[in-house]
Amino acid sequence: MAALLEVRDLRMQFGERLIQADISFKVEPRTIFAIMGGSGCGKSTLLRHMIGLLSPKSGQVLYDGVDYWSADDATQANLRSRVGMLFQSAALWSSMTLTENVCLPLEQLTQQDEAQRLARAQQVLEWVGLGSFGGFYPADISGGMKKRAGIARAIAAEPPILFLDEPSAGLDPISSKRLDDLILEVRDRTGAAVIFVSHELPSLLAIADDGIFLDADSKKPIAHGSPRELRDHAEHPTVRAFLRREEPPAPSQPGKNP
Amino acid sequence: MAAMSTPLSVRLEALLMPRAVGFLGQVLLAGLALLRGRGRFRARDLARVLADAGARALPIITVVNLLVGAIFAFVGAVQLVKFGAGIFVADLVAISVSREMAAVITAVVMAGRTGASFAAELATMQTNEEVDALEVLGLDAVDYLVLPRVIALVSMMPLLYIYACFMGLLGGMAVGTGMLDLAHTAYLDRSFDALTWAHVGLGLSKSLVFGMLIAMTGCYSGLYAQRNAAGVGSATTKAVVAGIVGVIVLDSGFAICANALGL
Repeated sequence: MAALLEVRDLRMQFGERLIQADISFKVEPRTIFAIMGGSGCGKSTLLRHMIGLLSPKSGQVLYDGVDYWSADDATQANLRSRVGMLFQSAALWSSMTLTENVCLPLEQLTQQDEAQRLARAQQVLEWVGLGSFGGFYPADISGGMKKRAGIARAIAAEPPILFLDEPSAGLDPISSKRLDDLILEVRDRTGAAVIFVSHELPSLLAIADDGIFLDADSKKPIAHGSPRELRDHAEHPTVRAFLRREEPPAPSQPGKNP
Repeated sequence: MAAMSTPLSVRLEALLMPRAVGFLGQVLLAGLALLRGRGRFRARDLARVLADAGARALPIITVVNLLVGAIFAFVGAVQLVKFGAGIFVADLVAISVSREMAAVITAVVMAGRTGASFAAELATMQTNEEVDALEVLGLDAVDYLVLPRVIALVSMMPLLYIYACFMGLLGGMAVGTGMLDLAHTAYLDRSFDALTWAHVGLGLSKSLVFGMLIAMTGCYSGLYAQRNAAGVGSATTKAVVAGIVGVIVLDSGFAICANALGL
């Protein structure tokens, strides 16, 4: 049986500049899958390739065995409807209230009438703790609230796959912890698979079941597994150092004796 | 030297601007889809842009066109009075305002005001990933963001042009009656004698085309801006410069065509 989401031999490149290559992994339902790595290694770029915003140089992104990038427009639209996305900046539409932000995906992806959409928007906003903020505009709420509203928008249409780009970036530790709890709750309530990009160690270690580690130097994944396992048992010293928050090993210098 | 080292394909691409042509095609297709009842933007967004590009622009359009009418009347009065033809100031103002100045000055003001605002708004949305969020939902940025802005400006520009004509005539009349002691009724009679449908039709056509140009350059600059604060500033500058230069270039094209057609 095909995996809910599978990335196969993906190569990401901007012009002649290689970002990452040889990326392969599978994500099953109810899994929280972390894309790890240092700043600038291509984590968010990988996410953008997976949700159809950037096309890969080569390789496949398969949803239930159907390759997004070789599918026709109608199939792509159908596959996109199975995805919810929280962007790094939350990306709430600034000219709309939070309720309108949540209603727009429902309008696009479901057959609900306006009353049903408003009821669902209120439900998910309450769920993320913003029940009384539906009439507020994004500019009127804090960064943490924006992230929660972004999650509400992403889960409103109940997609089976949820992508989160640095959900806890820029948040204080308490807000970050609350957001981690919310992600776990979303997974448990909806049964969705959650794929998230982060280099926040507490979040990675607390919530991720599985993951992949992208290396900026070799430009390919160097480890695969849950962050906790990788922290304790990863073979690659860079991965261990990253997850233990230690100094990375010094790069080998050719011609110099060890 | 730098230009010499640029590959031919890159220079050709810059010259032909395939992205700009593609954008124009996308807007036209979105417009056709709208005519077939497949518009995908929110009526509320259109209403907001209509108000911004229409009613909220009136104060600045009023001031600028009143003054332009007055300046033309001043310049005309000084010269025409020498020949005892002071009353023809009314003709001068009516024709110049309706054929050229109301449309061009209004377009320049709108390029600096609304074109810049479109560019800044879309560039900021691009920076904040709001455009990406629309695309993930399957909503095309041209359908959802560009088309309502183009419709709003193309609908508002002719109305603003007519309003600007009246303001220009009023400015000219203030100078004509104040400086040359012409009677209000005499001034208005001469003005309306001088005005023909050809002048007004030409001005209206220009305002439509200018509206389209300003909306498109504003939206294009914003939508393809770099995703940072500098990108927003640069997009705004590009929108204003391209809008104003485009208006002048198109106006000269209109002048040549009108001359060829005997208008």
